[in-house]
Amino acid sequence: MTTTAIQTPPTAFTTLALDNWKLAIAGGLGVSISACLAMPATSSFWVVAVMMALVAVTFVVNAFRRHYYGGLLVSPAIAVLFVMNIFPLLWSLGLSFFSYQSNQQAIRFVGLANYSKLLTDDLKAPELWANLTNTAMFTVLTVSVQMVIGFLLAVLFAKQFPLRRYLLILVLTPMMLSVVAVGVFFSYYYDPTFGVISQIIKAWTGEQFILFSSKAGAVAGIVFADAWMWSPFVMLLVLAGLVSVPTYLYEAAAIDRVGSWRRFWTITFPYIRGLLMLALLFRTIEAFKMADLIILLTKGGNDTMTISYHVIRIANEQNKTSEGAALSYLLLFVVIVLTNLYLYIANRRSQGN
Amino acid sequence: MKYKTRLKSFATALSFVSLMTVGGAIKASAEDVVLHMAVPDWPPTRIMKDMFDREYKPASGNKVTLDVDFIPWPDFYTRVNASLTSGEKKYNMAVSDSQWLGAFIEGGYFRKINDLIDADPDLKKAMDGMHPKILNAYSTYPNSTANYYGFPQFPDILVSYARKDIFCNDEEQKNFKAKYNKKLPCTGEEFDDVDWELFGNIGEFFMRKKGDMLAGKPADDDFYGVGFQVGKGYDFSTSSVNSFIWQAGGDIWDETKAPDGHAEGQVNSDVAVKALDHMLSFIKYMPPVAKTGTMDIFKTDELFRAGKIALNVDWVGLGEASLDPKTSQVADKLVFGMAPGTRGADGKLNRTSQIGGQPFVLTTWNTDIINKEAVGFVKWWLSKDVQTEYASKGGQSAIKDVYSDPKYSTYRPWNRTWASSLDYQKDMWHVPQFYDLLTQQQDQYDLAITGKQDAKTTLDNVAKYQENLLKEAGLIK
Repeated sequence: MTTTAIQTPPTAFTTLALDNWKLAIAGGLGVSISACLAMPATSSFWVVAVMMALVAVTFVVNAFRRHYYGGLLVSPAIAVLFVMNIFPLLWSLGLSFFSYQSNQQAIRFVGLANYSKLLTDDLKAPELWANLTNTAMFTVLTVSVQMVIGFLLAVLFAKQFPLRRYLLILVLTPMMLSVVAVGVFFSYYYDPTFGVISQIIKAWTGEQFILFSSKAGAVAGIVFADAWMWSPFVMLLVLAGLVSVPTYLYEAAAIDRVGSWRRFWTITFPYIRGLLMLALLFRTIEAFKMADLIILLTKGGNDTMTISYHVIRIANEQNKTSEGAALSYLLLFVVIVLTNLYLYIANRRSQGN
Repeated sequence: MKYKTRLKSFATALSFVSLMTVGGAIKASAEDVVLHMAVPDWPPTRIMKDMFDREYKPASGNKVTLDVDFIPWPDFYTRVNASLTSGEKKYNMAVSDSQWLGAFIEGGYFRKINDLIDADPDLKKAMDGMHPKILNAYSTYPNSTANYYGFPQFPDILVSYARKDIFCNDEEQKNFKAKYNKKLPCTGEEFDDVDWELFGNIGEFFMRKKGDMLAGKPADDDFYGVGFQVGKGYDFSTSSVNSFIWQAGGDIWDETKAPDGHAEGQVNSDVAVKALDHMLSFIKYMPPVAKTGTMDIFKTDELFRAGKIALNVDWVGLGEASLDPKTSQVADKLVFGMAPGTRGADGKLNRTSQIGGQPFVLTTWNTDIINKEAVGFVKWWLSKDVQTEYASKGGQSAIKDVYSDPKYSTYRPWNRTWASSLDYQKDMWHVPQFYDLLTQQQDQYDLAITGKQDAKTTLDNVAKYQENLLKEAGLIK
């Protein structure tokens, strides 16, 4: 759809009109700040909300009068994004500078104390560091295992063989299961008394096998469960790339007697590289947030605590809202740095080619 | 004629209006009141709801409905905490673990009930008739003061669950006597007298491999001596460690001694370290899952019901499933005793134990009519007949008149131990920082249970953390 914006002179700043968004912002800010200073929080919150709504109305009226229909069409999405995402994000940023617990009424401004406590306190900082290290370890291990297995599965399913369709459905099933079901399933799978792994090993050695008795075992168990669940996701993406390679390229390569390794690097890989990078990005984001499987399998025991589980515990269970918010912002910072690094590498590679 | 018709229609209208008014008045005097309640999903709350629906007739004449959210145990704290702190004001009543009291009272969610008790002689009588240890644990904040907040919903204690078929077997009796020169307990009364030393002997004695002889037959799978909770989740290892420390004469950080009572020096005292070591010494006689740090109350119960453990110590609240042949392979082979204790120099057992069970509380946003109906429900719930019926269906009561009735011990096989166990019950902290104290402690105990850290380091870490946290919170000087 094309829209024609009408070039009308902008409304003067001092004109009292419904499309004067500049005045609305200035007035809204003034009223909001005064309300925050003069009124109790329960009332000033609503004053600020009304001011924000007023600004939003002036934006809409302004867009409507000037026929910015494109902007009007996306405005509901922006409004939802603002209310559900950006506003809570800013709110929690504000909270991180206060001393506030959700189960207590008192609130006090403490500046950067929450951040400095998390980073320098001799009890909290080592815990944060240990949990970050564990998260990095889980991210590297689960994502690498999933990428390799997912890729190999995709190569397998790109070929035609009997019962392929049925096996494909079977392989995709874990991805569709609820994490809770997978967690319960694997907790029995690994159980030393009832579990099938222990029973098989016991048939050989005569001793029950306690996988979760060491950190290495617990990590292996969690990585395996996560890979079992999410490798099919990588496979699905890679498979989409593999089936999109035109067969005439392979035929030409066969005529030229190109070796299978070179055929893969020069024909197949360029087609799936983008999808592999996408799978890597999705899985890394998910792995960085890992908490559910750990809660279900080890409850963070055996030194398997991750940073997400740590945040859940601080913010939701211990009700230390401000400290949880500060920790979340530290995490956000890590994520932004990592994402930018990833995008930089991805861009450089695509430009290099 | 016209006048008459008018008069007639006026009279009809008047009678219609008065009929409506009377009807309205009747309707207004009998209101529909819904009590929204959050409870954990397990038999003690299901039985309560069932009894309410079938039997409860409010004295006020209102139509009172109990709308219960049955929440699975593992999510219970998280869900209730989220509901209360979010400010949604959804629940009028909630079952609360006793250690949550401080956190939710300080948050302004749980209502103090002293005025309700003082205003109602029947309720006062019911509260006065309660075992003082239960009243202290379930109702008071600050801990052990006369500020009341909770009514008992389901009081709970630890008991010993044992396999009669194995313990009473002649061959096992003979071999045990030969090995330890002690009588292997067989009857409930003999289990009442089990101390931790005998408990350890039992643990060692019943460690059997698949194919070894067990009570005259080859064991069909590996078999283990003992079990109790040593899991990382919630308060599972803490509950066991607390009992060991108290019985050894040590103490956890005691909030009733604040602000002078410190955590450092007390939590990591030599007695406490020895007690933790003592507890850890039994893990080798438990099913191997104990070494993974996931042996919680549900796991040890499951293993016992699957016939893998000789002697298990667990809450009464989980007992029903072990008696049901549909859920228990050992349903017809059980004997119950008091939980083990530590024998003193005088030969008497110190059985001080972490109390289980839960009170239920009223929330602060209830209207007068909701409070009135909630109190009506509580009075009905704590009345002798209702508590007796509840006990007969598998519940428990903390009301003296109810549990001292000789019939009480006949309702369930573990009830024999009930009255005598109540005197030994003690609770952990009620302070608002409880979850912080608990989770750090659980993490540290997990390191000790999975063999990564010794008892001394564990308790030193716990003490240091608690000292720091409690000082920051202003609870200790």
